[in-house]
Amino acid sequence: MNHTNNPQQPNDARHDDDAALTEFLSSLMDYTPTIPDELVEHYLAKSGFQCPDVRLVRLVAVATQKFVAEVASDALQQCRARQSTVVKDKREKQQKDKRPILTMEDLSKALRDYGVNVKHQEYFADSPSTGMDPASRDE
Amino acid sequence: MEVHREDKKADDFGRAVSRMAVAQICETLGFHGFKESALDALTDVAIRYLLDLGKTASTHANLSGRTQCNLFDIVRGFEDMGAPRGFSGASSSGNCVVSSGTIKEIIEFVGSTDEIPFAQPVPPFPVVRDKRLIPSFLNMSETPPGKHIPPWLPAFPDPHTYIRTPMWNERVVDPRAEQIEQARQRRKAERALLSLQQRLVSNGSAEASSSEANNDNVKELGVPESNPFLSTPLKPGEKDVSAVVLPDKLKNNACLMEAFAPAIEAAKEGDLAESEDRERRLLPEKRPAVIFKFKTGKKLLGEPLDLSLSRKGGGRVGHWLGRDEERDDKKRRAEYILRHSMENPHELTQL
Repeated sequence: MNHTNNPQQPNDARHDDDAALTEFLSSLMDYTPTIPDELVEHYLAKSGFQCPDVRLVRLVAVATQKFVAEVASDALQQCRARQSTVVKDKREKQQKDKRPILTMEDLSKALRDYGVNVKHQEYFADSPSTGMDPASRDE
Repeated sequence: MEVHREDKKADDFGRAVSRMAVAQICETLGFHGFKESALDALTDVAIRYLLDLGKTASTHANLSGRTQCNLFDIVRGFEDMGAPRGFSGASSSGNCVVSSGTIKEIIEFVGSTDEIPFAQPVPPFPVVRDKRLIPSFLNMSETPPGKHIPPWLPAFPDPHTYIRTPMWNERVVDPRAEQIEQARQRRKAERALLSLQQRLVSNGSAEASSSEANNDNVKELGVPESNPFLSTPLKPGEKDVSAVVLPDKLKNNACLMEAFAPAIEAAKEGDLAESEDRERRLLPEKRPAVIFKFKTGKKLLGEPLDLSLSRKGGGRVGHWLGRDEERDDKKRRAEYILRHSMENPHELTQL
């Protein structure tokens, strides 16, 4: 830990962070992230990461979970936004389109903010209107 | 993620597990369904995030001269990964990793979201089967054959598997004995051929002798009745014929041509003078004349062959056929034509 005297930052604030971090790490012992430890360990080992500490593996798992959740929630926002414009046009489809579905369109928009350029193929089956029957699509 | 084809297959399990995890995370956020491709893409991104984070963290550890990563390397990794999007406190110069904005965000995230464990228990993977190593010299309690070989190295296999042994050619080759053996085999084949010939002749001689009586009729009729093969067939049961039994020697010979070849060769070489005597002895004096009957529309130089041959006298015919085994049909025919033309010179003008 960085114990060198830093004139810009008061010592007590740093100690608070220190305590909070230690507490957080110890709380991770009881926390079970959605991403299983084994998965994280496997991929970390693959990338050359060596650490016997379970808490750090959990920390990475939580960080990954946070990342995925952020991306997914952004995609959800995109989905909601898209659906609201569709719903404005067609009131009768409101019930049907209410259920949010993760699509490449929303995901690529969401991932663009995170520095991931997703260039998905314009498959016909992947377009948002795939689920609709052809008659309603023509409207 | 750049993976090789075989890696992709090996990574199938990890991918499936992360797919489930990502799907679970999305479900908790409020998604009701996925497009397969979108879920796959998000899974890929999540795996890539894990790998990149691990790589960045280990790079930071290596920069500090360590092989094992600690918390600060991971936090540095978080900062690097979050750099495109930015995090709180990124702009401040006080870069104490303990008070990094990323870790605060994570603490906040853990506090705000419900704890949703993975749906299924995951076994530790990849499963590494315990490799069966080759036992070392120490394990085998052997001493290495050379001082330069440390005892912890895998032991050598059994010496008989790698030691060079000279190859002996067990067969003693004696060219003289081989030649003798070859000659013996040639003679054997010849004998077999001769016995076959003899047997065939003795089978046919009974017929020939019977037709001997009406030899005069043959001349008159011009029909080669002396040839048993051309006579009218007997009805079955009219005459008792001994069944043809092949000699054992012949049975061994797969091909008749093979049996003939050495005999012809020997005859050409003429080194078997005594065999010729035997041949004469074995062959009967009188053999049914092999007579050709030409059924031709055009006139072939007057009389048919059989008449002229019979005119020459039986003894000559027998001798001619008996002696000149090696003469082929062509030669015989040429001789015949020559003789015939000399006898009937007036017919030459017709040619």
